[in-house]
Amino acid sequence: METVAVVWAFFKIGVISFGGGWSVVGIIKNAVVPHWVDEAGFRSLIAIAQSTPGPIALNAATMVGWYHGGFLTAVLATLSVVTFPVLMIALTILLANKVAINKDHSDEALRTGSLAMMLMTLWVLRPTSMDPLLLFFALGTFYIGAFTKINSLWAILGAGAINAALGPAIRGFLKAIGLQL
Amino acid sequence: MKEPVTNGESRPTPWKLFLIFSWINTVTLGGGYVIVPIIGNSLEKRGWMAEDAFYDIFAQAQAYPGPTALTTSMLVAIKLCGFWGAVAAFFGVILPPFVVIILVSKLMTTYGSLPVVKRFLDGAGAVVPGIVAAMVWKNTSRRKWIGPRIVELILLTLLLILFPKLSLPILLGGIFTMYVLEGLWKR
Repeated sequence: METVAVVWAFFKIGVISFGGGWSVVGIIKNAVVPHWVDEAGFRSLIAIAQSTPGPIALNAATMVGWYHGGFLTAVLATLSVVTFPVLMIALTILLANKVAINKDHSDEALRTGSLAMMLMTLWVLRPTSMDPLLLFFALGTFYIGAFTKINSLWAILGAGAINAALGPAIRGFLKAIGLQL
Repeated sequence: MKEPVTNGESRPTPWKLFLIFSWINTVTLGGGYVIVPIIGNSLEKRGWMAEDAFYDIFAQAQAYPGPTALTTSMLVAIKLCGFWGAVAAFFGVILPPFVVIILVSKLMTTYGSLPVVKRFLDGAGAVVPGIVAAMVWKNTSRRKWIGPRIVELILLTLLLILFPKLSLPILLGGIFTMYVLEGLWKR
């Protein structure tokens, strides 16, 4: 039963989706590649998830569910990724301050945890193609994201548009001047 | 881009919360840190929640698993309208992206194999490592680094990379261990 497998995979992703969207991407990749999506497909899936409304984990769940089972699987996968977070909210409301958690300590632990998840994400998504134009897109986006206030959405759409419209011409030119890796 | 007007009596109801959250989640692109301030403004503008109170809840929401946009919206809605507020926020946050993704996936099934669409997706996908690297950069430079935390970070990252199938127990165990340790060396 593919639906059950997809739902279970995304439920587990929901349990460890700490620290904002990008830290969980590596975990999602480990769960869905190469099972349900291939390497290149996963990168475009993430690019689509980031340039459409909604949290990345939710969008990824909807998309994987849709391609591997259809509408119902998409609904179930989307719900399963938020099941654990919603349960946790319900639980703390019910317990209402009966559990003493040291907020400073848990914040630091969660920050280190989500940073480790991000580093792992960076490792599993490291550029695999030696295409000079695609590497340039990755480096340019790092610069924009780290040192400017420009929304990374523009980097996604810009790189997509440049590659769609001018990709073959630029690669032809690079080849002509001997820069083909 | 106008939000649904809620004139007349200006008290929050679950239905109004649903309309506001679903509107914001339809027109906002780009992750929790973009959307959360927009929600905060929108509630303050209506006089439903002061900025301080909102950001207190946002801080709490980050300790929960799950997308920050979802947890913040639900906690805020519980404060404003109780249980039905939470239900309204839940559907307001998850419905619009769901519909958009289904539409995009349908388009992809039809047009995904065109060379120009393929090139667009290749280019768009190529920026992903750059975005992640920038996030790592920002989160690293923002933190206070003391010896034990650096060791923890390196160990946890290595474990996650070496044992991809065990990421769930590694993370839960790791976060719990680090929580306990933070308490130990602060004494």
